[in-house]
Amino acid sequence: MSSLFATMAIATGALQAEQGALSATTNNVANANTPGYSRLVPVLVENDPVIVGSIAYGTGVSLQNLQGIRDPILQLRIQEETQQQGQLNSFVAGMQQVQVNFNSSTGDIGTQISNFFSSLDQLSTSPSSLAVRQGVLTAAGNLATAFNNTADALSSQQHNLDLSIGQAVQQVNTLTSQIAALNAQIMTAQGVNQNASAFIDKRDVLIGQLSSLIDVSEIRSDNGLTLTTSNGTALVVGNQSFALSTQSNPSGLQDVFAQGKDITTQIASGQLAGLVQVRDQKIPALLSSLDALASGLATALNTANQAGFDLNGAAGGNLFVPPPASGTGAAGSLAVAITDPALIAASSDGSAGSNGNVAALSAVHDQAVAGGQNPTDAYGNILFSVGNDVANGSAELSSSQLILQQLQDQRGSISGVSLDEEAANLVQFQRAYEAATHIITAVDEMLATVINMGVTS
Amino acid sequence: MSSIRVNPYPMPDLISAVEQLRQRENTETLQLATGSRINQPSDDPAGAAQLAQISDQSSQVDSFQRSVSSVSGLLSTADSTINSVVTALQRAISLGVEGANGTLSDSDRADVSAEVSGIRDQLLSLANTSYQGQYIFSGTATTQPFVADNTVPSGVRYAGNTGVNKVTIGNNYQLRINQPGSAIFNGPGADVFQSINDLITALNTNSGIGAAVNEVDTAFSYVTAQRVFYGNGLNQTQSQQTYLNTVKLGLAQQQNTTAAADIASVASQLVNDETARTAALDAIGRTPQTSLFDYLK
Repeated sequence: MSSLFATMAIATGALQAEQGALSATTNNVANANTPGYSRLVPVLVENDPVIVGSIAYGTGVSLQNLQGIRDPILQLRIQEETQQQGQLNSFVAGMQQVQVNFNSSTGDIGTQISNFFSSLDQLSTSPSSLAVRQGVLTAAGNLATAFNNTADALSSQQHNLDLSIGQAVQQVNTLTSQIAALNAQIMTAQGVNQNASAFIDKRDVLIGQLSSLIDVSEIRSDNGLTLTTSNGTALVVGNQSFALSTQSNPSGLQDVFAQGKDITTQIASGQLAGLVQVRDQKIPALLSSLDALASGLATALNTANQAGFDLNGAAGGNLFVPPPASGTGAAGSLAVAITDPALIAASSDGSAGSNGNVAALSAVHDQAVAGGQNPTDAYGNILFSVGNDVANGSAELSSSQLILQQLQDQRGSISGVSLDEEAANLVQFQRAYEAATHIITAVDEMLATVINMGVTS
Repeated sequence: MSSIRVNPYPMPDLISAVEQLRQRENTETLQLATGSRINQPSDDPAGAAQLAQISDQSSQVDSFQRSVSSVSGLLSTADSTINSVVTALQRAISLGVEGANGTLSDSDRADVSAEVSGIRDQLLSLANTSYQGQYIFSGTATTQPFVADNTVPSGVRYAGNTGVNKVTIGNNYQLRINQPGSAIFNGPGADVFQSINDLITALNTNSGIGAAVNEVDTAFSYVTAQRVFYGNGLNQTQSQQTYLNTVKLGLAQQQNTTAAADIASVASQLVNDETARTAALDAIGRTPQTSLFDYLK
């Protein structure tokens, strides 16, 4: 049978439990705006009853746990999408900077190609005029400068991306060592059955940041959390982290190494993947297209110039400095070979007033000089490929943003703190607490009655 | 109790919606300002490549047009020069006919001969006409084409060459722009200077004037026939000018279809986006204002 003292003990237990529950509400309200915070829910359980004869007397309530509410699968989806977004973000940002060099302006390569051929048309009507010849040389110089500037801008952007890759690797290392430290704390706390929710929240935030940098796969096991890149390179194993490093490759760019192995080309997503993609694929491809165009154009014009005679009646020479045989670096090094306008070979018969060879020079406008295309079409192709990369990347980025937003929404609906809910809980716990105190008062009065029983005043 | 929990913090969603609208407004404003919907290659990659080609073609047409006007200047100068040559020869013929009249005194014939000599000087000067610093009857040489030289029978030596120049005035359209001077003034059996020289000699000696006049007449017919070349050239430049104008117009239209922003729809879209953004901002202003806590006493 139950005793008054047992009742008192149940009420006291209730006071403690409700107080504990209230602390969850307090913590939730306090962290309502903390990024990555998962709300706590008090887990109240009924105590085992005491059975006397046929009656089971309840022994009250106890607070078993303050449980952090989170969905690990959703967390994984968020990480994946964050990786995707990190990659697209750095890819689009990189390509947008590339694109600036191809905006049509008075100085872009396409315009300078047109200007050069226009100057040849003028030469055709006044083949012996030194002023018009000088105009052709100036246009050729501008054309070379346009190629030089674009190639230089692309190379220096490649260098900037290289610096960003080094920085991203350092960030990865900082994050993995922090995650390893948190892993240790979580394992210790869980070892003694403590609530590790706060550490888990922090770790999730860090893993989120790591995901925006590099592709991360998560493996959970009894002895904690293992993080690897998608190709299996370990980043964090339990309380141990493995730092990435960078090493210069022959072209002077940093390759990413993990435990002595080059993983540069294996990074599948995250900011690093986007940076590597622009640095190692997009920019080199563009440079080589520009090189092919510059080299093809210069060679074709040189050949045409050599077929004619200059103003002095001598056989024509090179108009441009011959590009390197491999074509590599042709755009960056394109330069006009002559400074004397008389050396332009306009004449086809050696006489000063002949314009017969100008037609041969002009014909290069419609000649296949790079990839089977004439100069303007080849340049148009480069424009298309740059524009297409930016446009596609941007479209993918917006859809990835949308998906990530929806996932964050979903996370918010599961783990986010609702102040309405907390207010209701507050009322509920407060009322239960009050009720328990009333019981204690009642038991107190009952005990007083018992103590004073038989005492006559 | 079980109900679907909603995300209690819609703020990031709303802010990103505002950012997206802001970005669209920026794009639309740029389109309105430039009148073009392609302001960077990524706005329409294929369109941007096409625009680069159109602008190259249009620059080519511009320079064809410059060439056409320069060439037609040259051709009309040559044409009017030959017209003067023809007129001078006509005058020489009528002077020759006058000199053949037996009633003429020796001194009158000497006057006629002197006038024909003047015509010879005029013809020499016409044959050395230049356009923009370039002799028009020197072939492709840049030296003075006709030089007075007493060692040759006609008294005038051709110092130019027989080269011809062609100028591109359209795609695969090259127009020949000159006749070498020798082909005009030194026709086979129709040499202008030889015939005039012979006429002067005939007048001075009062013998064979009729034959000399016939010789000048032959030269006259020959030069007149050569004039057709320049007339044809001028006709060709005129029709090409008209054609290039049409092409230019077509290219402008093509550029318009490829790149022009639909101003009316962009402007109305801009207004819509502004309204939507105002509404989103309004929503942000309202959301977090109240919770159950406000109602607890």
